[in-house]
Amino acid sequence: MNRKWMIWMVMATLLTFLYGCPKKKPATPPSDLNVETTTVPASPSTPSTTQDVQQPAAPDVNDQTEDPLTSADMQVVNDELKRRGFSPDIYFDYDEATLSDDTRDKLSRNADLLKSQAQLSMTLEGHADSRGTNEYNLALGERRANAVKQYLGSLGVGADRMRTLSYGKERPVCTEEVESCWSQNRRVHMIITGRSNVG
Amino acid sequence: MKPRFAILTVLLSCLLLAGLVLSAQQTPPQEVQPGQPPGQVTLELNRGGQMRKIKLAFPAFRSLGQLTGAGGAVRELEETVRRDLDVSGYFEIQGPDALSGLSLTGDVQKDLAAYRSTGNEVLLLGDLRVEGEKLVFEGRVLDLGSGQAVLAKRYSGPFSVSRRMAHTFADEVIRFLVGKKGIALSEIAFTSDRTGNKEIYVMDYDGANPRKITGHRSTSMSPAWSPNGGAIAYTSFFNGGPGLYIADLGSGRKRPIITSGSLNTSPSFAPDGGRVAFARSFDGNVEIVVADLSGGNLRRLTNSNAIETNPAWSPKGGEIAFTSSRAGNPHIYLMDSEGANQRRITYDGTYNDGASWNPEGDLIAYTSRRDGQFQIAVTNVVTLESRVLTSGPGENQSPTFSPDGRKIAFTSSRGGGKQIYVMDLDGGNVRQLTTEGNNDLADWSRSVPER
Repeated sequence: MNRKWMIWMVMATLLTFLYGCPKKKPATPPSDLNVETTTVPASPSTPSTTQDVQQPAAPDVNDQTEDPLTSADMQVVNDELKRRGFSPDIYFDYDEATLSDDTRDKLSRNADLLKSQAQLSMTLEGHADSRGTNEYNLALGERRANAVKQYLGSLGVGADRMRTLSYGKERPVCTEEVESCWSQNRRVHMIITGRSNVG
Repeated sequence: MKPRFAILTVLLSCLLLAGLVLSAQQTPPQEVQPGQPPGQVTLELNRGGQMRKIKLAFPAFRSLGQLTGAGGAVRELEETVRRDLDVSGYFEIQGPDALSGLSLTGDVQKDLAAYRSTGNEVLLLGDLRVEGEKLVFEGRVLDLGSGQAVLAKRYSGPFSVSRRMAHTFADEVIRFLVGKKGIALSEIAFTSDRTGNKEIYVMDYDGANPRKITGHRSTSMSPAWSPNGGAIAYTSFFNGGPGLYIADLGSGRKRPIITSGSLNTSPSFAPDGGRVAFARSFDGNVEIVVADLSGGNLRRLTNSNAIETNPAWSPKGGEIAFTSSRAGNPHIYLMDSEGANQRRITYDGTYNDGASWNPEGDLIAYTSRRDGQFQIAVTNVVTLESRVLTSGPGENQSPTFSPDGRKIAFTSSRGGGKQIYVMDLDGGNVRQLTTEGNNDLADWSRSVPER
């Protein structure tokens, strides 16, 4: 009996090591978090009751652990991919849609992960900084998204798994008019948006 | 339906008084702007400013009888007529304050000399009264030389249309005294985020009466008037990627023009109103195309590896201006409306984008990056002479010409947020039109919108 319990423990540890703890969704605290404060009365010197403490039952460990990448929650899938080394954002120079060497390295890692998960499909969002007209920046965002799509395609990621969507300067992550902010907005944001039945 | 009915009422009850033109021979000094000799095109930006202004006496309007409940409408009507004539740039106006030094008897025929003594050439008089639920406005223009009325108009309508009565009369005065079409009834389409989402709006030419056209609760942008002002084409993200839609202003109905592919944006109507030029993505490469209003007969006009966007169809229809980055930086180019004869027309500055034609079709206003700041510039499409019209703090972008070609509306961040301003063609007389939220991407109607 005792030995069997030990085996269960070892397997559980191994599984945790292999797949990690189940990912929690990033907790966005509710803005109107209601905290109740209770004042605990000073404990009386002699306890009036005795609580019976027992060993909790051993957790039911099932070795059929679900891969987070199969989750229906796309946030879980995106978080898990990121944990495995996927870069969701890559950045560009001003008025440029060319990929730097550093960017290519990141995309190469992304391509490997995507090829190992052929069932996942992705949206490539093209973004631009706030300088220049809305329309030109839409075209620039489109160009950036497509540059990433082309490169991932050249590394073997199927074009039918990738959808481009330019937001131009309409969805900035940072809104100050300074270079440190502009550089964050000149990006292509890659998000897993769906799963095909194939693969 | 109600406003349309009201407008109809005004138009129907707009009666010419008997003896409208009492003496056709004695028209007041009519300053007709000298036309440019054919073949000679220069970058003459102060076209209005060079003209001698007509000296107009504008005493306070008279109220006849009790104006029960119409006090606000009456004041608004008088202020609007005065403002319309003032911002038109054609007049030098002496209002009630300037005229207060004169000893006037109240009998116009006896006061002619007094009005003339401070240089006035014409006198504008307004009478207002209430008839039932309606405001009745009679406007007259007198030649101070002869003392005869040269223009007299009567308008009647509900109190709520007092601004429209004023605009209608002001344009009539301009048409009669200057011989030009006024712009007081024109409108400006723009984007505003005042509700939290970027939506399309329309306002009167002076910034009054803003009304929301779209309610997509997404991002809607790049409004473009149809030539007759009955519809607005625009870009919206409400159904996914940026697609082209059209809003019929009479019915309020919206329908897609084209949403296939990953990007369709920045529409510009052909002068015949039947086709639009816009930017569309071909595998990530954005090019200029033309299609009919159902997205059919799609034709690609440009073919380069660079960005092509922001087409602007010329007022006569023969050419399309657009932005291309084929030379390394964005610049304005021209081509004929079939796509041939593509040529660059801007060389100053490192970033030129967002062309807007003047109604005559000889000038293009655009956004130009100069010394790191975005400014409004104008270039003559024949001589390629250019001039920067704005300066100072903040970015200035997205110009659009008024229907008379004498003004430019544009976006500026000079006051912090983005607001729409208007200026004269020489960069002077800057006035702010919007205040609520951020307002951007103005497109001035080509004429008085028909609905």
